[in-house]
Amino acid sequence: MAHMLQLDDVHTYYGNIHALKGVSLEVERGEIVTLIGSNGAGKSTTLRTISAIQRPREGRVLFEDRELQQMPPHDVVKLGIAQAPEGRHVFARMSVYENLQMGAFSRPGVSITADVARVYDLFPRLKERRTQKAGTLSGGEQQMLAIARALMAHPVLLLLDEPSMGLSPILTEQIFAIIADINAQGTTVLLVEQNAQMALNVAHRGYVLQTGRIILSDTAANLAANQQVRQAYLGEI
Amino acid sequence: MRGSASQLRRAISLGLITGAVMLYLVAVGIVLAFSARNTITGVVTLGRLMLAAPPLAAGYVVARRGTDLAPRLVAGLLLGAVSGVIVAAALLFASAVDIRHILVRISPPLLAFLAFDQDASIGALLNLALAAALGLIGAVAAVVPSRVRRPAITGVIGVVVISMLEPFLRPRLTDFKLEGVSRFLFTHKGLSIASAIVVFAIFAVGSVAWPRVRARYRARVAAADPGTQATIRGVTLLLLIVFLLALPQIAGSFLSQVLVFVGLYTLLALGLNIVVGYAGLLDLGYVAFYAVGSYLTALLTSPISSLGVGLPFWVALPIVILGAAVTGLFIGAPVLRLRGDYLAIVTLGFGEIARLLFLSDALKPWFGGTQGILGVPPLFGVAKVSVPILGWQLTGPTLTYYPLLFFCVIAAIVATRLKYSRIGRAWNAMREDEDVAQATGVNVTNYKLLAFALGASVGCLGGAVFATHLASVFPGTFNILVSITVLSIIILGGMGSIPGVVVGALALIGLPELLREFAEFKLLVYGGVLVLMMLLRPEGLLPDRVRQQELHEADEEEEPGADGGALTPAEQG
Repeated sequence: MAHMLQLDDVHTYYGNIHALKGVSLEVERGEIVTLIGSNGAGKSTTLRTISAIQRPREGRVLFEDRELQQMPPHDVVKLGIAQAPEGRHVFARMSVYENLQMGAFSRPGVSITADVARVYDLFPRLKERRTQKAGTLSGGEQQMLAIARALMAHPVLLLLDEPSMGLSPILTEQIFAIIADINAQGTTVLLVEQNAQMALNVAHRGYVLQTGRIILSDTAANLAANQQVRQAYLGEI
Repeated sequence: MRGSASQLRRAISLGLITGAVMLYLVAVGIVLAFSARNTITGVVTLGRLMLAAPPLAAGYVVARRGTDLAPRLVAGLLLGAVSGVIVAAALLFASAVDIRHILVRISPPLLAFLAFDQDASIGALLNLALAAALGLIGAVAAVVPSRVRRPAITGVIGVVVISMLEPFLRPRLTDFKLEGVSRFLFTHKGLSIASAIVVFAIFAVGSVAWPRVRARYRARVAAADPGTQATIRGVTLLLLIVFLLALPQIAGSFLSQVLVFVGLYTLLALGLNIVVGYAGLLDLGYVAFYAVGSYLTALLTSPISSLGVGLPFWVALPIVILGAAVTGLFIGAPVLRLRGDYLAIVTLGFGEIARLLFLSDALKPWFGGTQGILGVPPLFGVAKVSVPILGWQLTGPTLTYYPLLFFCVIAAIVATRLKYSRIGRAWNAMREDEDVAQATGVNVTNYKLLAFALGASVGCLGGAVFATHLASVFPGTFNILVSITVLSIIILGGMGSIPGVVVGALALIGLPELLREFAEFKLLVYGGVLVLMMLLRPEGLLPDRVRQQELHEADEEEEPGADGGALTPAEQG
């Protein structure tokens, strides 16, 4: 068996807009791989393509040698790929607990008690707020809930879209510690981030995406040292 | 001082609005239509009360704010006076200048009514004084403590409601050999002064006593042991069932007819509630399923339809339900990708297409065009059923009532079960955020189609009963107003709430049937009710409390037994 996840020359369009212009990348079992790039580079589109919410016009998405690009999104979840979408995409009028319940939707007929306990351990804040409507949580809490909800699906591959978006530096640090923790417990992570510094700290490898194309790929340490990356994404002059 | 100045400014602007509302009520003719209804004979008519309500209510609203007694009362008085000036000015103007070719409702009888059958100038003064007094009374209501206000308001509502029920109560009282009561209560299609005082007193005392009795009763039930509590629940349920079964006998033929309409719309609303309330798919063409249910039933059961098979109703019913579910899928499939307003517009079109198909000349050999289909046999095959022992003779509405009740109960149980099932959760998620629902593993396509098919099945039951009740079907019945009415019921009652649906149907179908004068203004009232609801209480009259309670239970115990595992049976669907 080759790579856990492999994108092979993927082209995705929004109507006439060519969002991904031949993206190829691989994720190996147990890794944290990060996809960095500026706004509009196609990072979220890449994740949506993997989740099959967006269909590629060309190219293949392989997960453990199975083609995802024609699969309906709910079947992709059943294979063990869960996505924590970007921003405030929680079910706002449901409680925290109900959101977690929905996270386990792809595994019917299974008791979720242990899983709920596990995510409450990772995010004690969510436990405090478990009966509260998700829409009333703070930005950081909603982000935690989105990640926790994705974990409820028992993913082997977790897709995280901008987990640090809109969070304070302290919260960002906490979230990244948790991501490392989740990975240490055996979940492979594909992490999309604008905060390249933090992402490269926690990741093993990374790709740099620019206007729909992968322009660099290397180990996280090498990318962090790369002059081009430092100038473009780490704020060095 | 600044505070009271702003209160007075508010009183003037609210007074202007109140006056405009009163003029509007007068100009559309609703006030005059109701002036034939005596509330208290010789004292006040329903039309007069309707015109009195705006300054009363506005006076109450404006006087609720503030701490000092005098400015609050003055504000109410001022508000009433301002609204009275508007009405008086309009009266004088309309008496002097003939504006009837613009506003056709401003007729001499209306002007006479407005002027209390006096000269226009005296009438104007009377209006001014009356409105000012009403504003002041409203303000007084806001000032007095609620232990005074509540009984008074309840008493007034009691008087109005009992007098409104006169046309139905009087014959029923006679049927039950209670002419004495009837003669005491009513004179000339309204309450007598003495009976009005008695009714007022009963309701006022009741409003004070009722909460205490209820609280004591609840406390005693709560203190009882679980076995007794279960017995109490059982007996309550039994009493409710007995009541519902005996209702047509108590209500009589005419009120049973009203109940049948309420039941039909309850059924339709329960079905649409699945599509709109649960799955969040705004379907404005729901009438299509009602029509399909009616026509399929007529085709299959009428011996003189184009099919001419004349099946018994209960044999035809499964085919009708299946047919409606398939129609649901047909309508659902093309609109799967549409969201929000686009979905609403397309389904609106589908509803019209359904009606036009049934109406069309091309399909006349099957559906009979404008003539529709006649000869639909009654639901049980016979027009009259006698119940042994009780000696009831069931016919027409008193007979149709029972299958309708049965279907409503079934639909309500199915809807409740669905709501808290895995399916209900998937719909809930889909309604909140379709993309994320997909990403958590909800097969959005299937769940949308399921909502359409289930909604269609419930709606077609209404159509099936309707066809047998009228013994015929006509395309004209199935117009867009049905869809709008059903949607209004859901919005009034509270989206996704089942008790809300029943209350909504009672209010929007039952009330207009009881007040025939409303018929002409029904849509106007619906529109007004919807606007008011959206502004004041967007969650509906009876929103889902159960759901909130469930959330609080989850608060106390970690595992409310509502996880994925507990609900597998429901998942088979």
